[in-house]
Amino acid sequence: MQSQKALWPWKLLLAAIILMMAAGIWGATKQIDYTWRWQRVPQYFIYQSETLQPIPFDGRVHKIVEADKSALLTLESDTGETLEISVDTKTLEVSEGDELFEGDYLGSISEWRFGPLLQGLGVTLWISFFSGIIGMALGLVIGLCRISSNYCVRHLAILYVELIRGTPLLVQIFIFYFFLGTVFDLNRHVAGIGALAIFSGAYVAEIIRAGIQSVPRGQMEAARSLGMTVPQAMKNIILPQAIKRTLPPLAGQFISLIKDSSLVSVIAITDLTKGGREVITSTFATFEVWFTVAAMYLILTSLLSQIIFWMERRFAVSD
Amino acid sequence: MIKVENVVKTFQGRGQIVRAVDDVSLEISKGEVVVIIGPSGSGKSTCLRCMNGLESFESGSICIDGLNLADRRTDINRVRREVGMVFQQFNLFPHKTVLENLCLAQQVVHGRKRSEAQQKARALLNKVGLAFKEDEYPSRLSGGQQQRVAIARALAMNPKVMLFDEPTSALDPEMVGEVLDVMKQLAAEGMTMVVVTHEMGFAREVADRVLFMDQGKIVEEGTPEHFFTNPQEDRTKLFLNQVL
Ligand SMILES: Nc1ncnc2c1ncn2[C@@H]1O[C@H](COP(=O)(O)OP(=O)(O)O)[C@@H](O)[C@H]1O
Ligand SMILES: [Mg+2]
Repeated sequence: MQSQKALWPWKLLLAAIILMMAAGIWGATKQIDYTWRWQRVPQYFIYQSETLQPIPFDGRVHKIVEADKSALLTLESDTGETLEISVDTKTLEVSEGDELFEGDYLGSISEWRFGPLLQGLGVTLWISFFSGIIGMALGLVIGLCRISSNYCVRHLAILYVELIRGTPLLVQIFIFYFFLGTVFDLNRHVAGIGALAIFSGAYVAEIIRAGIQSVPRGQMEAARSLGMTVPQAMKNIILPQAIKRTLPPLAGQFISLIKDSSLVSVIAITDLTKGGREVITSTFATFEVWFTVAAMYLILTSLLSQIIFWMERRFAVSD
Repeated sequence: MIKVENVVKTFQGRGQIVRAVDDVSLEISKGEVVVIIGPSGSGKSTCLRCMNGLESFESGSICIDGLNLADRRTDINRVRREVGMVFQQFNLFPHKTVLENLCLAQQVVHGRKRSEAQQKARALLNKVGLAFKEDEYPSRLSGGQQQRVAIARALAMNPKVMLFDEPTSALDPEMVGEVLDVMKQLAAEGMTMVVVTHEMGFAREVADRVLFMDQGKIVEEGTPEHFFTNPQEDRTKLFLNQVL
């Protein structure tokens, strides 16, 4: 019996190649005299914002209760109203008894805020999520129409699939936003989600069709011979088996969808890609930001792969 | 019980028209076991499939227990409920356990309650000797066991007629017996059965009547006795010489 071949030389080689590529990139940036400023990037994930707190009326500071972090000010206006405002203790600019005019600053409050990169990630996430769900539902319906025995229904589905698959997504997004968006008065987010959903729907339809057709004919015949109607057989017998078979290609489709969603930035939706572009205009850290954005997409898509992998294992019990 | 009159079924195959079932008429009464034999491609499967509406036919009529299949107003699903079918390839539902295979259609079609369906299913699994396999998935069963489950699944719908399309042809020889035993038991209980098979032993032992089909037509018809002692037609003799 041949013993298992040693893997470590290949692992070593792999590591060496990856290291060489990294060194190559590093060397290339040396050539063009680029200064890496990675330290500029984190603040665009999350940052502390300072908001100045002005007094809303003419009056005086009646009382200040200072705690560790924040101070609670009790203000009294000239007309006798009182108001409580809290600011960070460190930034406190007034003391008890001070007379103030409307708009004078008392201090400021700092809070943690998501920067453009995380906000963009959020937008990318929910746009992909909703267009994925709608695309899946649409694809399921169109996929079923695609194999319908009705000539008209079948050809309408074919027409839809061919139209969508035959034109670039970027062009579809423009048409959706500038043409349909104007006609039906859609906002950019609805237009973006709509375009992505219709786009992925066409691909999901083909995947579903292939999945259904891969279920042996005998399954439908057995279900029908037991007295089930076609919809009953579809729901209980054919679709569960088809979905299981289509899980890997569907996962691929959703991963594509997440990546394709970067195209909605052209209609001024601030998704992860557009967020990245905005950060670049204020930092000029072009390389760092694009690498960071790429890494964030990668994390998102590999998380999705993991989930699908886990689902596949769950479904595999009957094999 | 079953009355087939002048049924014609053609297929459009590569330029030429195949008359798969060519003007077939036959009558089967309640409790009768009819075995259909004939060479491959002679239209036996198509004939069976016409009888439970899996295949439509061009002309003629098929009446099952008073329901006319040729009549557009007949609810085809109602006919199928009355007619159980067992396939050569078993066609169990691979994503369901054995018990679920037996329960699903009962619940979906007859609207039986889960507990009621399971009770019925367990009784039938007992009958085919597979009660201990109820939680297995079909892929874990041998061919013979799968076919017995398939028979039980058809029986769970309380059919009045059972159609068998070469139920043992996909089985290893040592498993043929267990499936035939179940079918013999069913025949003994008075089930109306139409069986397409190459198992001449089964035909001889169980059949009330044997039909020989060739090229879409019923060429010869008679008791097993008649077939195995003095067949009349040349084609029948030729075929029997090959299989016996
Ligand atoms: N779906 C089909 N499409 C075209 N021709 C078919 C189809 N099903 C059966 N046939 C043809 O009909 C004839 C009878 O087939 P079948 O009923 O399966 O024969 P058997 O079961 O006796 O072997 C054969 O010539 C076969 O090629
Ligand atoms: Mg056949």
